[in-house]
Amino acid sequence: MAPELTEEQRKELEEKLKQMSPEELKEFQKKQCIFCQIISGKVPSQKIYEDNKVLVILDINPAAKGHLLILPKEHYSIQPQIPDKEQGHLFSIAKNMSHLLLKGLKVSGTSLFAANGLVAGQKAQHFILHLLPRKEGDDILKVSEKLIEKEMRDKIYSLVASKFNEVMGGKKKTVVPLKGPKLISEEKPKALDDSIITDSEVTDSAVSVINNPIPESIIAFAKEKQTKPKTKAKLKKSAEKQTQSEKKASLDDIANLFK
Amino acid sequence: MKCEHCDIIERKNASEIIYEDNEVIVAIKDLVLTPGQITIFPKEHFTILELVPDHILEKCVSIANKVSIAIFDSLGCQGTNFLVQNGLGAGQIVPHFSIEIIPRIENDNLDLRWDTKPLPEDEMETIVMTLEKTLLEMDQEKLTEKAVQDKPTSEKPGINKLDADAAKEKNKDNYLLKSIRKTP
Repeated sequence: MAPELTEEQRKELEEKLKQMSPEELKEFQKKQCIFCQIISGKVPSQKIYEDNKVLVILDINPAAKGHLLILPKEHYSIQPQIPDKEQGHLFSIAKNMSHLLLKGLKVSGTSLFAANGLVAGQKAQHFILHLLPRKEGDDILKVSEKLIEKEMRDKIYSLVASKFNEVMGGKKKTVVPLKGPKLISEEKPKALDDSIITDSEVTDSAVSVINNPIPESIIAFAKEKQTKPKTKAKLKKSAEKQTQSEKKASLDDIANLFK
Repeated sequence: MKCEHCDIIERKNASEIIYEDNEVIVAIKDLVLTPGQITIFPKEHFTILELVPDHILEKCVSIANKVSIAIFDSLGCQGTNFLVQNGLGAGQIVPHFSIEIIPRIENDNLDLRWDTKPLPEDEMETIVMTLEKTLLEMDQEKLTEKAVQDKPTSEKPGINKLDADAAKEKNKDNYLLKSIRKTP
């Protein structure tokens, strides 16, 4: 889109956009969007993978060598607009690409990053999933975690939980009791009433999940992670181990990318 | 359990867990980049992204989207970031794959960016060639593996449909194949 629009021009444009038919709108977006032009081949790019839904290209302004952009071919502005199945496919590709970077570029990690909205750092109108090859001590996404107070967490919980359940399609009754009565049940078991069924269902499933055998490779990695502190060499070693441990699991997927 | 995410599942603390079903859990952790950050992870203990089966991954990202929508509305943020730190090199702390949804507002002092540097054409081509070569090697390994065992796959029907679509496309000659052929 033209970079410098006055408030008035923007309104005019919005008005114009509103009056367009869906087909016209799609055409208009495609014309404006650099990534749609890359997808259609009008603008050249270094392609790593392509199918009828997804295109993976090298970022021409990368954060590191091998920085990939994973693009849905359809023009979506933000992630929540992408239908579930399409997004599932997109992330399946992302997973395989991540594996590819770990293996091909010998990096010790990858970051998947997406920005929804200007303040989140979104620069293009087309949804982009960034896949960044990572190395210990690189200057990418240098952020640190902080501890938040319980009061703050409770406040966030009260704000988000009900809205989320609404977004999930009003599953409030089956979802909220899952954690609600659990607490109550420790103090006054009688308060459970109608939520008992769902509660025990989840307990059962959680137990079955916990009882599942965990692959040895994962245990090995987890153990390695527990031992602290680590020297750089050790970290490297465990990173290598990690790369190896996932090799088996996703080889099929990777190779499925092309037959 | 020493894994912090498995701990969350196990202790079933009402003020932590926003949602859970048989496969996926949505929680508020107390160690976050910014208040309002929500974490989505599969209940099963998968260390890294590469180990998460497609159907669970699809479910996780679908729920992640719903979290995004929910915090847009309920926390009044103007944007969200989607972040997966995968592997030690990426700064992954808990050895249990998770997706972070981070609420953003203007001037929140969150520096979720990176410095970029244009990559010369020849270096770009080297990377493309390296990755294509790796893909080829992986395919070789896969073929050998397949000869040894025919691995049954249980995938969601939806994915299969996409696969079928993709397969149709492949018949038309996939880009990768084409580019691989031209590599010397």
